[in-house]
Amino acid sequence: MWLKKLIYSDDIVGALGIFLVLLVLFFSIRTPHFFSLINFYSIIGNIPAMAILCLGLTFVVLVGDLDLSLGSILGITAILAVFFFKVMHFPLWLNLISCVIIGGFFGAFNGAVVTKIGINSIITTLGTMALIRGLTYWIAMDVDAMQVGRITDQAFLNFGRYYFPEKSRLIPITLVYIVILYGASALFLNHTSFGRQIYAVGSNEATARLAGINVKRVKFVCFIIAGMLSAFGGLVLVAQLGLGEAYTGQNMILEVITAVVLGGVLLTGGKGRLTGVIIAVLILGVIRNGMVHLEQVTDISVYWRDAAKGVVLLLAIGLYSFRKSFNAKRLRTRQ
Amino acid sequence: MKIIGNKITTNMSLFAFLGFLIIVFSFTSEHFLGYYNIISLLTNISYSGIAAIVLTLVMISRGLDISIGGVIGLTTVVVATLYSQPDPFPVWLILIIGLSTGTLVGLLNGWCIAVMDMDPIITTLGAMAITRGLAYVISDAQSILMFEETTDFISNGTIFYIPMPIILFLITALIFSIILHKSKFGRTIYAIGANEASAKLSGISVKPVKIILYVLSGLAASVSGIILIGQTSVGMPQHGLGTELEVITAVLLGGTALSGGKGTIYGTIAGVLILGVLFNGLTISGVRYVHLQIFQGILLLVAVATYEIKTRNEVAS
Repeated sequence: MWLKKLIYSDDIVGALGIFLVLLVLFFSIRTPHFFSLINFYSIIGNIPAMAILCLGLTFVVLVGDLDLSLGSILGITAILAVFFFKVMHFPLWLNLISCVIIGGFFGAFNGAVVTKIGINSIITTLGTMALIRGLTYWIAMDVDAMQVGRITDQAFLNFGRYYFPEKSRLIPITLVYIVILYGASALFLNHTSFGRQIYAVGSNEATARLAGINVKRVKFVCFIIAGMLSAFGGLVLVAQLGLGEAYTGQNMILEVITAVVLGGVLLTGGKGRLTGVIIAVLILGVIRNGMVHLEQVTDISVYWRDAAKGVVLLLAIGLYSFRKSFNAKRLRTRQ
Repeated sequence: MKIIGNKITTNMSLFAFLGFLIIVFSFTSEHFLGYYNIISLLTNISYSGIAAIVLTLVMISRGLDISIGGVIGLTTVVVATLYSQPDPFPVWLILIIGLSTGTLVGLLNGWCIAVMDMDPIITTLGAMAITRGLAYVISDAQSILMFEETTDFISNGTIFYIPMPIILFLITALIFSIILHKSKFGRTIYAIGANEASAKLSGISVKPVKIILYVLSGLAASVSGIILIGQTSVGMPQHGLGTELEVITAVLLGGTALSGGKGTIYGTIAGVLILGVLFNGLTISGVRYVHLQIFQGILLLVAVATYEIKTRNEVAS
């Protein structure tokens, strides 16, 4: 019975979880060093920016739009954080707040173009992706931050490298961010009226409008949330790496979309759970890490990881559409 | 009559904008209208232009192909790897294998999208990851040198002083404008893009058409890859990184709607030319490369906003 439910139910989370477990098992059996505490910490340490960006994109995808500019927003945040720190000498709290506000501003710009002018979100954010990346290079050139983008301030570094409790190397602060952000977002999406409005707008815009929901405002807010989260992701990445470069986050957005789609969020909107998204992020992280281990014991090139990512994505979405048509057929025979 | 009028004005305004750009740049740089600059500009746009023309058909049918850049990279790697073997195949066979690389990827895309009913964006996103990954695997992330006469001729050779890439671009444009605007198949593409369900009900077999379109798109990307390998004399997995976005931008600039059913080859040619002239003109006028992206983004937003407002006015009137 549970197997049947797993295969035919619309909820992809269970299948994803089993796939993640199988992946971990596979790499643990095939490679000697994959199954160790240190390696798990390294996997966790590599995903925060990805996870936060995916969370941001999920909000936009849930209302039925797409935001390709999130990687660029992450990039400009990385440069601005260095700029504020090196040139303007902002204190840490001001630096963080201004970066997140600027990220929100870019998100608001996207949202305004999409809702006020009515341009398709893919085209809009394709434009702003280039635009923001261009601005990033501009700033990076003027402050020469590409050469001196290193951050040495311990307080800033601790923003991404701190452990709870202090000096124990037990719980990384980035994990706390992920848990808090995902937890808060899940509560927000499932238990507030605005969160339910997001799902309503995504599943049927016309109906949502007729039900008295301000569709444009909901979309606008989702773009702002995505922008702010991307900026936050950029700050975490800068603190983790200790430097910001103009090309931080370039080509990241395609992997983010892969994770969100793999996580079962419908690109047409209105459907998707954050549990699925975070498991998908973990799956991609495990593949990325595991392939390195696999290369050391076999001849399999580490570059198979990109191909593997693509295959996993195609399989997941193929399974989804197979299930959709199967369920439709079953429904028809019942009638 | 009015529809035809609108089509003409859209393309006319695009070419008018192109003329405006050319006049501006001929003032900002004395070298802009020089023979060598014009030839190099046209050669540079041919490579992405070929992919853009075929993508126009895909986008009119309400599809999208993001795997173009990955296919370009994979093709260059496959061709260069086969050529660098100790006992290589004859060149014509290598080129055919290179072209069939893109064709196969296109077939996979088309099958997933048409038969399995999968989302075009996601499918080709997956195909992009697979092709790019395979390119890295085959080449082991190395650049593979390839000095060879045939590919060199395809990219750098001339016929009557016209470089080969430009000729290939013109031939592609001619063939596909005939297919799209003069043939029954072309009308089918518009019908599918405008309303797939009603196209199906009126007896059009949608699936084969869609598969053919994606196969053609993959093939065009492979042709771009072979041109690129001749221009750079190297096959590497990073080739074509980001080309898909450039190509999509050009097609959108040309007035093709992402929602399908609308667009022309002439528009796409104008879009490709505008992007090429803008990049070339700004570079030659001393604008740094990093600023070009800002212009590209603004141009795309303004152009699409103009279309959007125009369509809304038409609907309102």
